[in-house]
Amino acid sequence: MQTDELIALLSEGLEPVRPGTLARQTALGVGVGLVLSTILMLTWLGLRPDFDSAMVSFGMWMKLAYAFALAAFALWALERLGRPGSDARRPLLMLALPVGAILVLSAIQMMAPDADRTALVMGHSSDVCATNILGCSLPLLAAAFWILRRMAPTSLGLTGAVAGLFAGGAGAFVYAFHCTEATAPFVLVWYTLGVGLTALTGAILGRWLLRW
Amino acid sequence: MIAQEAQYRDWMLAALAGDAAKYRMLLAALTRHLRSYFARRLSDSGGAAEDAVQETLIAIHARRATYDPSLPFTAWVYGIARYKLIDEYRRAKRRATVPLDEAIDLFGRDEAEAATARRDVSKLLARLPEAKRRLVEQIKLDGTSVAEAAAESGLSESAVKVNVHRAIRSLTRSVQAPSIHDGDSDADR
Repeated sequence: MQTDELIALLSEGLEPVRPGTLARQTALGVGVGLVLSTILMLTWLGLRPDFDSAMVSFGMWMKLAYAFALAAFALWALERLGRPGSDARRPLLMLALPVGAILVLSAIQMMAPDADRTALVMGHSSDVCATNILGCSLPLLAAAFWILRRMAPTSLGLTGAVAGLFAGGAGAFVYAFHCTEATAPFVLVWYTLGVGLTALTGAILGRWLLRW
Repeated sequence: MIAQEAQYRDWMLAALAGDAAKYRMLLAALTRHLRSYFARRLSDSGGAAEDAVQETLIAIHARRATYDPSLPFTAWVYGIARYKLIDEYRRAKRRATVPLDEAIDLFGRDEAEAATARRDVSKLLARLPEAKRRLVEQIKLDGTSVAEAAAESGLSESAVKVNVHRAIRSLTRSVQAPSIHDGDSDADR
């Protein structure tokens, strides 16, 4: 086909783009992903038995805040990574904030005079935590890829990895309602590992699933 | 040129609102840039360059919702063209050695630099108080006469001149002070 004909074809019957289309699709994808992940967590793992008392504990809010911050900054970065010509460095740097905060909190807990350091790090679910988070993250990873396939990412590996960070953070947020761990060192090591595994999965899948 | 970035952006915004005629003009103009961009980078056997031009036009069309009007339009198009170039290399089983160049490769040095300059100027102007900024924009950028600006603002002509002069002087000073000029414009790109 001649390029002139192509231009005529593309501009013929041009549909206006409603402002906020991408934002609505993002909200839809994230919403559906969260619902599916929650259903998966409830049926596969189950809500923690002490849910009511946990919701007023520091440990629970710490886990939720850490996971939420990772997911939020990663989603902000995705919004940039999916648009050619925009710069995602600022939101990516912001990801250091939650990690730094949990690091400081862990140091404080580890240096307490009567601290049982092994228990603080290993808890009682260290063998399943990271893979459970990866499992809870998979619906969200699919949702993130669904959103990104409507955008135009130009660095596929990086975008896939950040999609995994978002999914891992949001999946960890959901998983926190099952998990009964409450120490910062545990969250630092095992939650971060779970999010990291999801990011790795995203980076590998992104290279071919995000092509356009 | 500033005019080119501004022109293309205007056409793009019109196209996003559904203006097919402006969209057609935009695609035709971009085709000229894309042709020379791909011709310099792809072998001309089998029409690879023209294929890449068409691929890029289709991508621009299919992904037009990802253009964020607060960012330079030329940088957005360049991002897509560069992605399609890498894609083309990948398909040709060639090692993708696309240099980390800039939008200037697609639009020529003048346009890309002017687009950056324009952004820097608006950023600088944003530091001025509203009334002064308006005067500087009218007289120094839009070419309004002092008399017209005076009539509109209700100031005397000499007051307008003094205000513009002071505003320019304070901007000059703020550019020269390294602590204020912190490379922010780069990170926002």
